[in-house]
Parts: sequence; C-alpha cells; structure tokens
Amino acid sequence: MLARLENVTKRYIKNEGLRDLTLDFPAGEVVGVLGLNGSGKSTLLKLLAGLLFPTAGHITVFDGPPRRSRAKMVFLGENDTLWPWMTPADAERFMRNLYADFDATRFRDLLEALKVPRRKTKTMSRGERGRLRLAMALARNAKLYLLDEPLAGIDLISREKILSQIVQEWHTDETILLSTHEVAEAEGLFERVVYLREGRLALDVSAESLREGGKSVVDTFREVLA
Amino acid sequence: MKRFSTLIWLENRRNWIWSLPLMGSLLFWAWGIKQVTVMSVEERLGIRAGLLVAAATIGAVVLCMMIGRIRSETRKGQYQVLLMSPPSGYTHILSRFTYAAGVAFAFYIAIGFMFWWIFALAGISFDARSLFELILAVPFYGMSVTTLPLLAYTLLLMVFVSAYRLSGPGWVPGVVMLLGTPIAMQWVGEWIVRISYTLPGWRLFSTAPAALVERFGELDPETAMDINTALNQGVPVEPMLVMLVVTAVLLLLAGRIWQEVEA
Repeated sequence: MLARLENVTKRYIKNEGLRDLTLDFPAGEVVGVLGLNGSGKSTLLKLLAGLLFPTAGHITVFDGPPRRSRAKMVFLGENDTLWPWMTPADAERFMRNLYADFDATRFRDLLEALKVPRRKTKTMSRGERGRLRLAMALARNAKLYLLDEPLAGIDLISREKILSQIVQEWHTDETILLSTHEVAEAEGLFERVVYLREGRLALDVSAESLREGGKSVVDTFREVLA
Repeated sequence: MKRFSTLIWLENRRNWIWSLPLMGSLLFWAWGIKQVTVMSVEERLGIRAGLLVAAATIGAVVLCMMIGRIRSETRKGQYQVLLMSPPSGYTHILSRFTYAAGVAFAFYIAIGFMFWWIFALAGISFDARSLFELILAVPFYGMSVTTLPLLAYTLLLMVFVSAYRLSGPGWVPGVVMLLGTPIAMQWVGEWIVRISYTLPGWRLFSTAPAALVERFGELDPETAMDINTALNQGVPVEPMLVMLVVTAVLLLLAGRIWQEVEA
C-alpha cells in the first residue's frame, strides 16, 4: 500500500478538519478527492504530505511517517506559493538542485506545452503561475502526487491544458490524488472517487462502478453531498 | 545536487533587498560621522565611536528582522514549499543562518573599517597588526558574543512560533519559552562572568599604546598602567566560546523543531 490512514482525526483550534477517517491508497490510481468547502479535502492531502500532523490515528506513506517520504512525493498546495522574483529558469534551478527525481528536459517541454511565459511570476497571471507550478510538479518522477485544487481560479483554457497534461504525464505506477471543485471537467481522469462531507468519509467508490450503475461522478457528487 | 548552495542562493534572492540597504546604511553613518566637527578630539572620537556602536546595534536588529520573516512566508505558502523539499530541517536552518552570518560579517568588517577611519580622523594611526585586529578579530569576537546567538535565537523563536502557534494550543510552551529566555540569559551571563579568564585572555591591540603615545604624547603613568594592564590581560575567550556553543545548540533545536512545523 502506498499510503494508509487509520482512524485519523485532525482537530484545529476551533473546528475539526477530519474525523475518524480510514482510507488506503494503492499504487497506480488516479483518485478524485471531492467535497464541499470545509469538507476536509485540503486537510486530507496535507496530512498525507506531512504538512499537518493528525490529532489522533496513524498515517503511513511509503511505509513510514509522511514527512520522511517528502522526497518521493509531490504536493501542490492550493496557495500561490511561488516567490514573486522567480522566473521559470529560477524554478528549474531550484527544483533541479533540490530534487533528485526532477527531469529538466521534461520541465522545459511542459513549459512549452502549458505555454508558460519566461518572465518573473509577479508579472504572470494567476493561470500562468498555476501552470508553472504544475510544470514544476509534473517534471518530477515521483510516485505520489497530491494536487490540491490545481484548477482553482484558473481560466477554462488553462484548466483544459492542465488536465490534459496530467493525463499525458501520468504513468501507471504513479498515484495521483486530485482535489477539485471542477468536478465535471476532471471526472474523466478519475479511477476512484473519495467523497468527503464535514470531515467524514461520505463515499469511497470506483468511477467505473458509478458508470456501470449509469451515474456520473457529478451526479453522485450532488446525490451524496447536497 | 547542490542542495546547500541552492538554499544559500534562495536566501540571497529572498533577502538581498534587506542586505543591500543594510550595507548602504553605512554611507548614512559615514555622513553622520562627518557631521561631528565640534568639540575636542577626544569628544569627537567618543561621539563618533558611539554612532558606530549604534550602527552595529541597529544592524543586528535589521539582520534579525531579515532572518525572522518565517510567519509571512507561512501566510504566503512559501514555507510549505520549503517544508516539503528534501533537505533536512538542519540544512534549511543552517543555510538561513549562514547567509545572515555572512551578511553580518561583511557589515561588521565595514564597521571595523569605519572605526579605523574615525581613529585616523583623530590622528591615531594603527600599525598593520592593530588594523587587522580592528577589522577582523574584533568583529568576529563581537559577532560571536552577540549577533550570532541573537540570529540563532530569532530563528529558533520563529520556527517555534510556526510549529506551536502561541495563540492556540501552544501557548503553554510559548509562555515557558518567553519567560525562560531572560532567566536562561541571566544564568548564562552569570556563568560566563564566573568562568571568565579561566583560559588565557585573547590579547588584542597590544601594539596600540605606541599609536596613542605618537598622537597624544606620553600618557600619564596611571593611565598608561591601566591601559597596559587591560591590554596584557586581553579579552576573555570564554564568552566567545560559550556563546558559540549556545548558538550551535539553538540552531540544532531550531533544525529539530523544523520537523514539527505544520503549514
């Protein structure tokens, strides 16, 4: 098992992010993590990344604590995390020298494919910055990709480019967990969908079984979470 | 892979906007020194030296502000990127400290040169050995005793606040740390005073009296004896050694706590 959560609860100062969640993520799946605002999607991905620590329960990623496995996973947070002075060339230098699995050639190809301009991020649009961050993430040969709202606030054309790149770059031994509110656009990607409601698991189902039952991911989203 | 040098490069890209004005502020202090033209040579020297001590103190505060901007990085999410990167917490902390210590050393060497300049303005010309001690040994000693532990403490404090959220459930360890700091400082200070001069002192400016005699003529016997006694005794090396160890311990703690930071 690539990652496992056992009875995980995460409490914040004033509220609860997740409650008694148990989930397994084997290698080679594209998993949609869906839910309304505040349902615990970001908390789940941050816990798997080791950016948060569970209040109760146990998390293992690559058979160890998440933070210890950070060199083997990609976390793309929902925040715009790039430094304003950074250019794509700076980003390449940063990634190449810190990550053993970074592929500079693939990064440059991704910059071309995603049409990322070669200038400082402070002069880029939000969509351009989002595409640069995605290029940095996908240019690594990691085994686990945690993508938290990579489509948020990004225009339709950029969203389509990002989704098509995720499809193109995915290898069968890699696991991707993607949280998004753009359920309809991303649903073709998912092999499995985890629906969260108020920090609890509402439904964990394979996309194939939904389709066989004549339902789409979006229909089920409305049904389970409305 | 060149992880440490890349993190130093990142520090420079993030902080040059702080370090360059810090170096540029020396022009302001030089201008201030030039404005002191009244009174006797001794009084001018005293006021100018006071200005340089103020410059050194303000420089230390600016360096601490530069190194302690972890909270704003947390808000902007940039801290996430660093926490998720493969280098250990120790490497991250050491790179931040090394960059700030490098800037501090350059700054205090420049202050040392300015001391040489104000002595020259007062007509006191040091020999090569005293000049070397003024621009290298004194800044190193002063930094070791004050600026380096202060930078390490700032890093520890900011990482601690990020990890344990003082306004939230971490208020107990936060209060313990904040109350414990002055008590620990007092204890370390008293201990340093107790052990000082256990080792032979570091003799600095042993050839300086000749320059004073050359400028002011023969000193009165009592003053000459006081100066010679102080110079023969040298400065105690224990404060430097103890504070360098304290700095290392603070950095180790900060590096360890880095592993506990949430973002």
